[in-house]
Amino acid sequence: MGKQMTEMLKGTLEGIVLALLTGKPAYGYEITTLLRDRGFADIAEGTVYALLVRIEQKGLVDVEKRPSEKGPPRKVYTLNTQGDEYLKEFWTTWSFLAERLEQLRDEGN
Amino acid sequence: MAMGWIEQVTGSLEQKKQYKQYKARTKQLPANYRTAIEALERYLTYFGAITKGETLVKMLEDLADLFEQSAANGAPIRDIVGDDPVEFAETFLQNYSEGQWINKERKRLNEAIESVAKEEVP
Repeated sequence: MGKQMTEMLKGTLEGIVLALLTGKPAYGYEITTLLRDRGFADIAEGTVYALLVRIEQKGLVDVEKRPSEKGPPRKVYTLNTQGDEYLKEFWTTWSFLAERLEQLRDEGN
Repeated sequence: MAMGWIEQVTGSLEQKKQYKQYKARTKQLPANYRTAIEALERYLTYFGAITKGETLVKMLEDLADLFEQSAANGAPIRDIVGDDPVEFAETFLQNYSEGQWINKERKRLNEAIESVAKEEVP
């Protein structure tokens, strides 16, 4: 993954993960798989995990520990009301940015 | 007095116990995961300068959770820490910044700027 891609993803990965959690709770490993399916192929498991710790600390998700057949119990993340609000704000910010950037590019042509 | 006198002398016994538990967990990991987690612990402890024992222990426990989970899934080390382990370590560390020594200085800087900014005439 290119350096520029890494830098840009830093600011948006939180929104991307919250969007993936909309309507369907998931555990860490599933979230990484979902990201890979969506074309975010090179994101490290640990980066996703650090992000999950952060959104849990911020109170954007509810967390439930469920036993698993192999290995330690898994934490299942569910988007809560606060997370939903946060995601709405993320999309507004994203639209604003995307619009401004498109405008800049058009002016350049 | 919340702590016994002995804890004031030696630091929190509870945290020492938690740290020992964390160490025991890392010993259960397959050798390659153990080497990786020990390297991360070293970096996080040096670079992180976390002085709050409670935060430090929480960070290490979260790290152990990640490695146990990944070992159970058979995830290769590179899939866990990525191409740039330093980048990963620093992203991970941000979640525990409230326990860092430098946090006192961050507050001090903010307060100093706030105190002069609010006196400016608009």
